[in-house]
Amino acid sequence: MTPAISITNLTKTFGSKSALRSVNLEIPAGATVGLLGANGAGKTTLIKCALGLLRPTSGQCALLGEDVWSLSAEAKARLGYVPQVISLYPWMRVRELIQYTASFYATWNAELTNRLVREWDIPLDDRVRALSVGQKQKLAILTAVAYQPDLLILDEPAASLDPQARRQFLQLLVELTEPQQRTVLFSTHIMSDLERVADYVAMMQKGEIIYFGSLEDLKDRTHLSLEDAFLQMQQGVANG
Amino acid sequence: MRLRIEPSSGVPISRQLADQIRSQCVARALKPGDRVPSVRELARELAVNQNTILHVYERLTAEGWLETRQGSGTFVKANPGARGHKNAQTQALLAQLRQAVQQARLLGISLEELHEMLSASMALETESDVQAERSSV
Repeated sequence: MTPAISITNLTKTFGSKSALRSVNLEIPAGATVGLLGANGAGKTTLIKCALGLLRPTSGQCALLGEDVWSLSAEAKARLGYVPQVISLYPWMRVRELIQYTASFYATWNAELTNRLVREWDIPLDDRVRALSVGQKQKLAILTAVAYQPDLLILDEPAASLDPQARRQFLQLLVELTEPQQRTVLFSTHIMSDLERVADYVAMMQKGEIIYFGSLEDLKDRTHLSLEDAFLQMQQGVANG
Repeated sequence: MRLRIEPSSGVPISRQLADQIRSQCVARALKPGDRVPSVRELARELAVNQNTILHVYERLTAEGWLETRQGSGTFVKANPGARGHKNAQTQALLAQLRQAVQQARLLGISLEELHEMLSASMALETESDVQAERSSV
């Protein structure tokens, strides 16, 4: 099967600073991957390059089997993305924003939308600008999942959610990954979330992927908690 | 079915769940014929990846604890084979020991101390047997 994400020798520099150093990463279709890394490790840059929002300095990225710089409209319609910094039209009412987004997608699931609005307490009549950071994050997640993308990429999706909303979000993720062919990549600092919902983990340090593999294998091999395994892995790389 | 997950322990979630379900079968908290939640139900309830739950059920089915009946769900198996049952009970005991070892590690108890504690509790057991015999004489 075609990998959902295929990154080959990806390098990205900003001026003299190198943000990604020769990254290779192949994510199989159907995997739920948690992306770990300290602040500044390159997670967001990697995600933006993978999505074609940033042009790599060198190397290639392919999504759903297509080069990301010449992605077809069909492939784009199968792609969901929640950025770290949410920007939604502030003048729209929430209801309008949902309707507006829905109008772009033939696969929009109205039933799922209604359920999430209800369960997540999303205020339909408020202006987007009046929402809290957490509410905006919920809304961004809703509009990214409601058209049921085959590949969903989320950059720290749970960062601003309260504990209850985070739990609901994790349950949604579990539900979304039910069809075995749907692929999810999410970056996070919350290890316990990752351990629950991910089956693969990718670890980044200073612009490099220092580990990619099944979470179960990692634990069976190291007998360590994810946090300890991650710290040890970072240490190991730092010590050469 | 009551299950608890400690995501930040070194034990994979699938093993934590398998150990707990096995223990509940041994303790008869789960009785033969009881229906267990479907993979999808349990995954949603616990907010745990479906593949993880699937692995747990596959493993417990292979060990003879659970069985899947076409179209009606997954159940606690009625008659695990005698040998299979013993193996499975040993497995469950091992799981409990593993948990004890982990707890000991958390409490900073050394392996030697743990051995001593184990010997002491076995000695206690024997002692109470002896006393029981004496009092019955």
